[in-house]
Parts: sequence; structure tokens; C-alpha cells
Amino acid sequence: MIKRRLLYYLTVLFFLVPWVVQAQSDGLVTGTVKDGQSQPLPGVSIMVKGTSTGTTTDADGKFKLQVGSADATLVFSFVGFQSQEAKVGSQTEFNIVLTEDISTLQEVVVVGYGEMKKSDLTGSVATLKGDNLNKTPASSMDQLLQGKIAGVQVITNGGQPGSGATIRIRGASSLNGSKDPLVVVDGYPWGDAGNLKQINPDDIESIEVLKDASAAAIYGSRGANGVILVTTRKGRSGSPRITFNTLQTVSTLAVKPDVWRDPVEQATYDNEAATTGGSSPADIPFIGTTRGGVYYPSIAELRGLDPNKPQWPYNTDWVDLVYRNPHSQSYTLTADGGSDKTKYSISGNYYKEDGLVIANGYDKYTGRMNLDQKLTNAVTVGTNVILAYTNSRGQQLGAGRSPIWPVYDANGDYFKTSATDFGNPIALANELYNKTKTFDLLASVYANIKITDWLQFRTTLNTKFGNSVQDQYDPINSTQRALDNKGSYGSIVNGNYNDLLNENYFTINKTFGDVHVITLTGGFSIQKTTNRFSTLTGQNFVNDVLQNENLGSAGTMLISNDLQRFGLQSWYGRANYVLKDRYLFTLTGRADGSTKFGADNKWAFFPSGAVAWKIHEENFMQAIPAVSDLKLRASYGLTGNQGIAPYQTQDRFGSYKYYVGTGFKTGFGPGFAGANDEQGRTVVSGLGNSKLKWETTKSFDVGLDIGILDQRFTLTADYYIKNTSDLLRLQTIAPSSGFDRQWINDGEISNRGVELGLNAEVLTTDALTWTVGANFTMNRNRVVSMGESDRVLIGTLYESVRQQISTYTVNQPMYAFYGYKTDGIIQTLEEGIKAGLTGRDAEPGEIKYLDISGPEGKPDGVVNELDRTIIGNPNPNFIYSFNTNVRYKQFDFSAQLYGVQGNDVFDFQKMSPSRQLQRWTLDNPSNDYPRANNSRGYRASDFFLTDGSFLRLQNVTVGYNLPSETIKGVKSLRVFFSGNNLYTFTGFHGGFDPEVGELSINNGSYPRPRAFTLGLNIGL
Amino acid sequence: MNYRKYLYGTFLTAALLSCSDMEEQPYGIINSTTFYKTPEDAESAIVYCYSILPEVGYYSRGYTIVTELPTENLTQKGDAGTSNFELDELRTTATNSNLDDMWTYIYRGISRANGVITNVPNIAMNQTTRDQIVGEAYFLRALHYFNLVRMFGEVPIRLQTIDTPTQIPLAKSPVKDVYDLIIADLKQSEQLITVPRISEGRANKVAAQGLLAKVYLHLASSKSSASPGYEFVSNADEMYTQAAAYAGKVVNEQTTFAFTDNLVDIWNTEIYKKAAVSEHIFDAAVDRSGDREGSFSKLPNMFLPADRPMEIVYNPSDPASAKINIGQGWSHFRTEANLYNNYADDDKRKTDLIVSKYWNAGTEYNLDITSSSRPFTRKYIDPLRIGDASSCNTPIVRYSDILLVYAEGVGPTTEGYAAINKIRARAGVGDLAPGLSVDAFRKAVVEERANELAFEGNRLFDLRRTNSMEEVLVNKYGKTITSGAYFFPIPQREIDTNPLMKP
Repeated sequence: MIKRRLLYYLTVLFFLVPWVVQAQSDGLVTGTVKDGQSQPLPGVSIMVKGTSTGTTTDADGKFKLQVGSADATLVFSFVGFQSQEAKVGSQTEFNIVLTEDISTLQEVVVVGYGEMKKSDLTGSVATLKGDNLNKTPASSMDQLLQGKIAGVQVITNGGQPGSGATIRIRGASSLNGSKDPLVVVDGYPWGDAGNLKQINPDDIESIEVLKDASAAAIYGSRGANGVILVTTRKGRSGSPRITFNTLQTVSTLAVKPDVWRDPVEQATYDNEAATTGGSSPADIPFIGTTRGGVYYPSIAELRGLDPNKPQWPYNTDWVDLVYRNPHSQSYTLTADGGSDKTKYSISGNYYKEDGLVIANGYDKYTGRMNLDQKLTNAVTVGTNVILAYTNSRGQQLGAGRSPIWPVYDANGDYFKTSATDFGNPIALANELYNKTKTFDLLASVYANIKITDWLQFRTTLNTKFGNSVQDQYDPINSTQRALDNKGSYGSIVNGNYNDLLNENYFTINKTFGDVHVITLTGGFSIQKTTNRFSTLTGQNFVNDVLQNENLGSAGTMLISNDLQRFGLQSWYGRANYVLKDRYLFTLTGRADGSTKFGADNKWAFFPSGAVAWKIHEENFMQAIPAVSDLKLRASYGLTGNQGIAPYQTQDRFGSYKYYVGTGFKTGFGPGFAGANDEQGRTVVSGLGNSKLKWETTKSFDVGLDIGILDQRFTLTADYYIKNTSDLLRLQTIAPSSGFDRQWINDGEISNRGVELGLNAEVLTTDALTWTVGANFTMNRNRVVSMGESDRVLIGTLYESVRQQISTYTVNQPMYAFYGYKTDGIIQTLEEGIKAGLTGRDAEPGEIKYLDISGPEGKPDGVVNELDRTIIGNPNPNFIYSFNTNVRYKQFDFSAQLYGVQGNDVFDFQKMSPSRQLQRWTLDNPSNDYPRANNSRGYRASDFFLTDGSFLRLQNVTVGYNLPSETIKGVKSLRVFFSGNNLYTFTGFHGGFDPEVGELSINNGSYPRPRAFTLGLNIGL
Repeated sequence: MNYRKYLYGTFLTAALLSCSDMEEQPYGIINSTTFYKTPEDAESAIVYCYSILPEVGYYSRGYTIVTELPTENLTQKGDAGTSNFELDELRTTATNSNLDDMWTYIYRGISRANGVITNVPNIAMNQTTRDQIVGEAYFLRALHYFNLVRMFGEVPIRLQTIDTPTQIPLAKSPVKDVYDLIIADLKQSEQLITVPRISEGRANKVAAQGLLAKVYLHLASSKSSASPGYEFVSNADEMYTQAAAYAGKVVNEQTTFAFTDNLVDIWNTEIYKKAAVSEHIFDAAVDRSGDREGSFSKLPNMFLPADRPMEIVYNPSDPASAKINIGQGWSHFRTEANLYNNYADDDKRKTDLIVSKYWNAGTEYNLDITSSSRPFTRKYIDPLRIGDASSCNTPIVRYSDILLVYAEGVGPTTEGYAAINKIRARAGVGDLAPGLSVDAFRKAVVEERANELAFEGNRLFDLRRTNSMEEVLVNKYGKTITSGAYFFPIPQREIDTNPLMKP
């Protein structure tokens, strides 16, 4: 414990304490200039300081320059990079590495439908360069955003290969509609963030996050959850550059699972639990009897102390059988280059990730091509094509099975304790067939026309085609699902996704004198989406030979198909006005028309406005030259959310079959049975609502940007208030109407919070550079109103506590936990009865639930449903991260820490075997863990709640860059070693990973691997 | 420059596209504007009405849970949900999920029937077929309201399918109004349907008469026993007469449905579904070839013990009878000793219709009425079931039920004695003592119903209509009744979302 704390402090110190390190200083000089990735930089300007003597680097980044004296200083500068100076001295050969200028005010950032100088931004836009993504295997880019940007919360649900992530920008703001940000790749809105598998992280040039209404309103009805803009690498003119990147990764379990290791301890516990639970003596499990054809050894036998029986031969190590240390690989080959007229960038990637769990893995192939061609001085055309193919197999398996049982029985078949025992993970891994293949093609063509110096027109045609096929087969009597499907289950699930988008917009850029700069953007777009699904299911197969290969041979066949078609038309515009390079004004608006909404509300308009004041440009600031940037920003605007399925406004009939002796007949009539509710009951909708419309989010943002010492130290701070109203909500309606739910607009959610982003270039010298960054996000979420309901239970109905545990409750944050309050463990029967408990629940060793209310709203001496209340909040108080980067000569080092503070986790795994060993007994009157009792019906209570705060050493990378031309023909070579998910500081359940998803419910998620990666980048 | 041409082209396209309005073109959706047009639509509409009956929430689980657990017939396994326990121990609350389900499914059924009653009469088609379909819908609406009023008492009466939420607020109607509607609907149904049998699973003229007899009997006995809520009935004897008259039509005036001599054959799916004549006047029909629970039934699993697959003797009264394999279940329901011990030891309804012994791999197992795996009814077994999918229909109107309604209606007359003794003879328990008073005779019939119709969802309503919930369940069997004796509480979800339902 002490050791861990020490390690914690040391690590924090490392990031926070700014070391003070001293920096150090005729004829022809030569040299090479490269970027941080050891790529040669062509076109870098090299000037002798204070003179007009200078040159530029050639296509290979090389230069030659005649300098007058040894006292001269060379200045290396290049757009997008920090300038660097070097004293000539006696040196004649210079190997310069330019650092990309992350914080420079001249940096251009991508905004919706255009680009802007960072210094001219009025809204809240965060930028992340592709190079700053952690070098670790990630099947989707989303996972790599964790901890990178203030205000962006990324939650990964576990470590299953191919799984995505949940992204929330400035909190969740919808009850039943989508809460995911919009992802826009190279100007093409793809849809909800969460599983951006089509993009190879190596291909990412930059990621911009539009957080406030001023920035996101240009995306109108899809902007309320924030927007993530992804820009892929483009070709640069110059000779071809070929790069090869690879990652070779070995993963391990980060924490050893808490399972029974000693069969005797487990059997003792189970017997004790049965006795306490009131089982008849014959039903005590481990007493050396045969039940249902399975022999249950006695404890003496397990110990090897029974004189008449041999020592029990099994102590199966399920953890060892289920988990492995998989090897994963990624290879990317990129070629880019071009001329004045043509620019290209082509890449291909193969990615293979094997899961920690046996027989579980994910493969991915992606290809990408960007091509730009200047046809005339005025017209540029281009295309961008992305192909992605994925293949995933297997599933998660449990390792908590009793070590008393073997894997195989005496006949060599999988051992089962009964006909309905489906818990043997080895049987499941080997017998179940589960494969999903996806294919995606994304393509854009554009033409950009410079009509005059100041007027441009751009038109694009974008299309997205996706296809997915899932094959599944559960052999005869192998799973509960097989049993529920008349013995065996086979299926093929097909999905087809088509999207077509045409965008047309003008951009005007005009400067009037030195005083007025105006940028106007305006255009029109039309988008159509068609998603098509079909599911073929077979039940009750003759045998398992064909698996799902001939579903027509099934005893019972089921077919279902569906199609969703929706369209969006939009007019949008933005005006930026810069006065005296000091006062910035932005007006943005978008009018969206959507087919999804009711006849009365097809169109909506989303305006926003923002102002910014560059204080550092004012005369009175000239006296403080150290302040290189001081900008105050404020914005207010409206954005929308249309994240519901189509056809919700229409009246729809349902269909059922009924048996009439000669066979089944199909009926149609009022009431459309949609998905089942959380209790597994059919939910009937189908009542139209012609008034259905968008959710509207009103957001206010005020921000401050500070830069000191030529942007060596920068701080960005934002405060925001987001109020979302007209929530798209599935309202519960009176069941006597014949319907259960209807989509309506009703209710309000508020989010408010603070974001801080800090960056410091502690050192920037020729040989040594060191940067430190940190960000901090604090969001407060609250359900303000929900129509006629004060509380709605949501999420899974957990069988073990027989209720749903997450809620939307008015005046509470979303997902607040609902259940009983507890006060430790009952120590005497009197105490239990006094607490309002009865029967076995009142006995010593049971959980002491509290009687806090009753029919009259005050304690009534009985613990029942009325005593349930809000017991916890799964939303963190704040999230934060630190990162650092050190480069010393050819070596570099980077590290990232990510932390979440103050959230409650509902830990269904709380009573794990190590806790069961600490159970309450007469000799050990524990106040933490209840006695063994197999008839206990746990109630959802704060007994299960645990603080989920953690600080994770997310990534550490050490790299070495080989000096240029060490190997002939190799322009650059970089080797690095990267460790991911290295250690988690947490008080949660024996160090288990408390990051378990947005609802913060730990029900045994897929373990997040600790990954060690060896990487190689070669540039030719 | 030729780019201008391109530019104009683009704008023209954009302008054209923008002219297409944003109207949604539905896919895969049938609704009120495209349905109820053809004779086939009419047929399909009535099929849809029936399909609610064998749903999990209605006759293939929910109805049995709600009507049998409160009585002395069934209790449930130890880890069943709270709602089961509330019903079993007669302490139901407004948040009871089984009652919420029941209410919801019944009103869904009403909405479907209303759709037919409103729309099918406007379809141009053969009048006889159309009348029959509308008659079936009247029958189903009456059945749903009869279930509602017997469970909840005063309920809102909906006679139209909802098409906007503004129609949702609706107050409860008095019990009398609900019965007036039920009787009117059943009389309509009896007139409109001309054939005694359409097919398995569809209502018919006999079913309408049988159900009407049950409705009148409920009114009659409720009034004469002063059961709560039935003060409005003006004349009990008149109701008994009506009950006897309609039951008489079933017993004496038709031959399509009749008494089955052999008890186990009544419950053999391969007989009652295929025979020309059976006791099953109207069932919620299912078939094991169905693709989901609701088109097949899992009700047998609720009764069957979970220990191991079971072989039982098909007909215990016949020494030559073969064994049949009936699989295993979930032991959800447990037969109560109160019922089991109430039978005479040689009552065939105990020896032949309750399984207390079975075989597995040659070993004989005996079921004990006090253990967790208890003797169970064999009214719901299917030796041919596929996995959990069975063909066991849930009976709604059965001949023996109506025969006993007839006996109770006519009282201790020759016909009355003949009817009850026919039932008793089949069970091998001998004739009822002759010369009983009217009250004693009717009481005896109700007791006979308890033994004959156990697990068929009649006992709770028989106890309610004879005002004997306390007398039987509390005084005789030692239960405690906290709430829901005569009417269950209306589900909270309805109270919360229907503004005119606020108490």
C-alpha cells in the first residue's frame, strides 16, 4: 500500500515539477532537417540571423549554406513548425529536428466547411495532431482520444478486440435519442462516434473537436452532442516518400482475476451457504453424493483426508485455460508525394488483434487514397477513397467456474453439472460459432473552383457503402439460447448501409484595408441514407454438421427484414468578421429539414453567434511583451439532435401469426410491437405523432486563451452551460389505450462545466526539448424535468437484484443509482428486527438495509420498496490527464496519465471469492461482508457501491531515431517501445479496473489488456 | 470557362433535389390508410385479434399466474418474483407486474377487437363471412371485458382504437355498464356467427352461448351471495334462468362439442385438436411448430418439475397403457396440498390428472406434495413437444365447465343432478347426495368445479362470485388476505398516465 502510494507521488512529481535545465551554443555548413517522425522536411527556410543570407532544404531535407563567421546563428523556420536557432561555432554538419508547432497562433485548424487560423477562432475548438495519438494497437480511433482533449470524455467498456468506445462531449444531453457526437471525416459527416474502425490511426493528420454551439451550429440538427472532425493525411509536393510502420504487441491481464483457487475453501463456503440458506441436509452440495448423475465430493475427499476415497483429482485453473498472452500486429505502408499540380497519398494497413480470451480475435484491412489534381489555375478536383474490411470471431468467456469440476468428463465429453449447465468456458470456446465480417467503402470526389481572388466554390459528392454479415451457430443443447430455440440455433444477420451526400458551398475571403477581414461561407446540402437489414434464423437442426450453412434445413425457420430510409436537406452559412485583428465576430446558422420528423415540424433553424477579443493586440498590452496571446471568447447558440430512428412519427400496424388448426395465419392490426422493454415485455408503439421535432440545445460558452513567452506556455479555459429541451422521449402512455410508448418531445437536461487545457514547452534547445501538458474536465449533469414522470428506471433488469438500478431522476444527474441504503452487517437478531427486517433477512450476518420511508413518507418499521432512494452517482466529479514529451538528441520519451475522480461504481462482483473468505461468521463479526447464505435475495443497495476513482498510467513510450543516412537509402528510421495501460492507481476492489462503461456498472466486463508494443517506422 | 457550366449544372441539380419535399416514404409499414380494404384484410384483422390470446402475458402464462396463485390450487417456487408472491399471498399492490401485464394484454386485445368492429363492416365482401368476423370480434371484446371486470371491477370502457393521444384520458365505468356491454356484445356475436365451429382456436356460436351462460351465472351468484360490487344486479333468479338457458343451448341443442368419457383424452393434444367432437369449445390455440412463445406455449414448463426428464403412464386407470415421455420443466408452479388433499384418494381427477410418479432411465421417482418438486397437473403436457415448444392450448370455454354452469343454473332439478353426476361418474366418485336444497346444491356444484376445473383459471372467480374468498381461503385453508380479495388494484402505470383515473 505504502509502496503504491510512493510510486503514485513519484509519478505525479515527475509530471509536475518543472526541472530547471541549462541549455548550451567559416565556411560551408551542411545538414538535414527532419520532423519529429524523422521524416525529411523539404522547403525549410534557413537564414543566417540578422542577414538576408539564406537557403531552403531540398526534397530530401538537405541544405548547404555559406556562412560568414563562427559567431553566426542559423534560424530554421517552416510553416507549422517551431523555429529553431543554432549557433554555428565549429560545427559544419547540422542535423536539425523541428518540432511541430502545436500551439502556434498561425496554425490553421479545420472547422466545419473550411479552415481558420487558430488565432481567429471565436468558438471552442480543440485540436489534436495525429502524431500525438498514443502508439498502441487500437481497432478504432475513438479509444485513442481518451484523456487527450479537455471536455471530451472517452469511456471504453473493456478490452474486447474490435470494441469501440463511448464518447461524450460536455456531458450526455438526451434521454432516449443519440448521445454520441457527430463524426465528420474530411468534410463528410459519417454519423455517430463510437466505432470509427474505418480510419487507420496512422492516416490521421489531425482531429478537431467542435465543442460549443458557435463551432457546432454549422452542423445544425446533428451538432448538439458536439462534432469530431477527422482530417486524413494529404499528399505533399516533392519526391515520393514511402514509409512503413509496424507495431508488434504482446498483451497480458492487468490484474489477476479474483477466483476460487482452493477447492476446499470453495466447497466449505458453498456448504456453509446452503446450511445457512435452509437447504435440507441432503441438499448440502459437497457431502460425497451423486446428484443428477454428477458426483459431488465431500470436503474430506477434497482435502484427501477421507480414508475410503482417493484425493479428489481436480483443481482446474480456469483462468489459465481461458486467458492467454496474445500477440497483436499492425503494419502500415504509405506512399505520398506529388508535383505542383498533382498530390497523392496512398496507404494500406493490416491490423490483427487477438483477445486475452481464447478463440477471440479481430482482423482489419484498410486502404486509403487521397488524390488532388489542379486542372487549371482556378479548378482543382480530387478524390478520397477509403476501404475497410474487418473480421471478428469468438466471444467473452467467464473464468469463475468452480475449480472442483474438470473440463472433460470420463467419456471425453465436456463436463456439465446438469443438462442446463452452460458454464464450461472451454466447451463454449470450442463449440460456438460466432463470426462477423464487415466491409466499408467510403468515397468522395470534389471540385474546387476559384471564381475570383476572393470567391471560391466547392462541390462534393460523397458516398458510403457498408456491408456486414454475422454468422452464428449454437450446437444442440450447448447454450440457453440453443435450448430456447428448440435445441439448436443458427443465424445469418445481414446489414447493408448506403449513404449519399452532395455539398455545395461558396467561400468569400475579403480584406478591406488593414482593418476589416470578412470570411463568408454559405451553401446547400442534401443527404440520403438507406439501411437495409435481414436476419435468417433456424431452430431445431437435425445435427450440428452444417452449422448455419443450410438454414433451410432447420426444423423452424424465421426470417425478418427491415429497411430504413431517411433524408436530410440543409442550408447553412457562416460569417466571420475580424476588425483590426482584435475584435472577432462569428455568426453561424443552419436550417435542416429531416424526413424523420413530423409533418408539422420538418424544418428547424439553428443559429449561433460568437465574439472574441484579442486583448494582446491592444496597445496597452504592448508593455507586456511576455504575453503573446490573450483572448477572451464568448458564444451562444442553438444546436439540435435528430438521433432517432425513422418512421417514429407515423402510425404503424403490427403483425402476428395465430394457429387455426390447419396452420398459422398472419394477422395485421393496430399496435406495433417494437423491441422488448427492460423487463423483457413486448413494448407496443405505433401511435403516430405528427408534431415530433428536434431536441434543441441552447449553449453558452465563455473562454479564455492565454499564451506566454511566444506561446511556450499556453492555457485554454472554458466555462459552459448547455440546456437541452424538447427531449426526444419515449413516453409511457396509459396501457388501456392499447399502446405502451410514444415518441414525444418533453423534458429538459442541463450540463454545465469547466475545461482547462495547459501546455508548457519547458525546454526547447537544439538537443533537448521537453513539453508538459495537462487537461481537466469537470461536468455537472442534471435532469431538470421529464414531463409527468419524476423517475424512470433504465437499463438492464438485473436478475440478481430483480430491478433496474440506473435511473433518470428529476434533479439528479443522469444514470443516478436507485436502491436501498445500508449500514454494514447485522450483528444480532434484535438489531435486524429493529431495523425493520424479517425472517432470515434479519439474522446476524445479513446486510442491514435501512428503513428510511414508508407509505406516509416516513420510516414505518418495515424495509420494503418504499425505502428505495437515490444511492449514488456514476458520473465523475472530474476527469484529468497529464502528458509529457522529452526529446534528447536521437532519443525521445513520452508518457500519459489519465484519471477519473469521484464516480460511484455499482460492483456486482463485490462478493468475489477473496471477499467471501472474509465473510461474517460468529468468529469473524465482519461489518463489511455478509455471511455465506445461498438463499439470500440481494437487494440493489449501496452495499454494492464503490468509489470508482482511478489514475491510470496510460502510456509510456521510449523511442530512438537513427541519424539520417546511417543506412543507405533509408531516410529515417525510428524504433520505439510503448507500454499501454501499465498501472492503475485505484482503491477499487483489489485494484480491478473501475472503468466499466458509461453507466458504471461492473458486471464482469472484458478485461482491458496491459499491452507492450515494439514499433518500427521506416522512411524511404 | 467551362467550369461555369458545371457550376450551373450543380445548382440546377441542387435546386431540383430541394424541391422534393421531406415527406417520409415508409417501408414495410401497414397502417390504417392501407389496411381494412379487402376480404383478405378482414380475415387477417380477426386473426390478429386472436393472436393476443396465447401471448405470454395472457393465456399461455399470465392468466394462469393471476387466477391460480391466489387460490388453494397453486403456489410458486421460492425464487419467483415478488409479484407472484403478492398474488399467492393475496397482498397485491398497484405495482404488481403480473397484474400490469394482464391489464396491458387485455387492453391490447380490446384495441385489436375494436379495430375489427369499427372497420370490417365497411369492407365490401360476402356478408355471411363479414358478419362472422365481426361476430368473432364482439366475442373477443366481451371475453376481454369479462376478464377485466372479474379481475379489477370498475374499468374504463374503450370502444374505439386510439389514433391520437388526446383520446387517452378516460374514466372508469361502473361494473354494471361493463356487464351491459359484455352481454350486448355476446348477444351480437351469437347472432352474427351462424356456424357452430369455424376452426381450432376460433370462437363460434357455441362459445358465445357458453360464455354468455358464464356471464349470467357470475351475475346471478354474485347477487345471491352478496358478493361486493354486484349490488346493481336486480334479480338473481332471473340471471340464473338466463345462465341455464344459454348453458342449455350448449348442453342440449348442439352436437359439435360434447362430453369426453375418458379424462386423459380431454387433455391429449393429438385428440382434442383433431377429433371431430371434443370438449374444447374455445381455446387459445398454439402449435409446437410456431416460431416464438405465444405461437407455441411454454405453460407446461411452469408446472413440470425441473429435476430430470420424465416418463409417465399415459392412462393410469388403464393397466395396458404405454408410457409417454413428457420432458422436464422449470418447477415454477407448485401444487398446493390444500387442493391435492381435498380430492378423494380414488378421484380419477387426482389419480389420472395429477402426476405423482414418473420414471427416468428405468428408475421410479415419487413426487411428494410437501417438497419442492410436487405432484403436478397433466392438463398441460405435450409428449411431442420440440424443446420447450408445446402444442398445449389453454382452454377458455370447455364443455364440462358449461355443463356445470348448466347444473348450477337449473339447480337441484333432474337435469341439474344429471349434469353434475355425469361429471362425478367420470371421475369415479359416485353420485351427489339427492334431495339437496337449492343453496346446498349450488354450493356442491361450485365444489365440484373446484375439483373438475382446477388449473384452468376458474377457481378464483368462483370464489369471488360466491362471496367465499374468506370462508374458503382464510377459514378453511388458513391464508391471510391483505388486499385484492374481490378486485385487484388497478395498475399504477394506468393511474399515472391516464389523467381521469387519478383516485
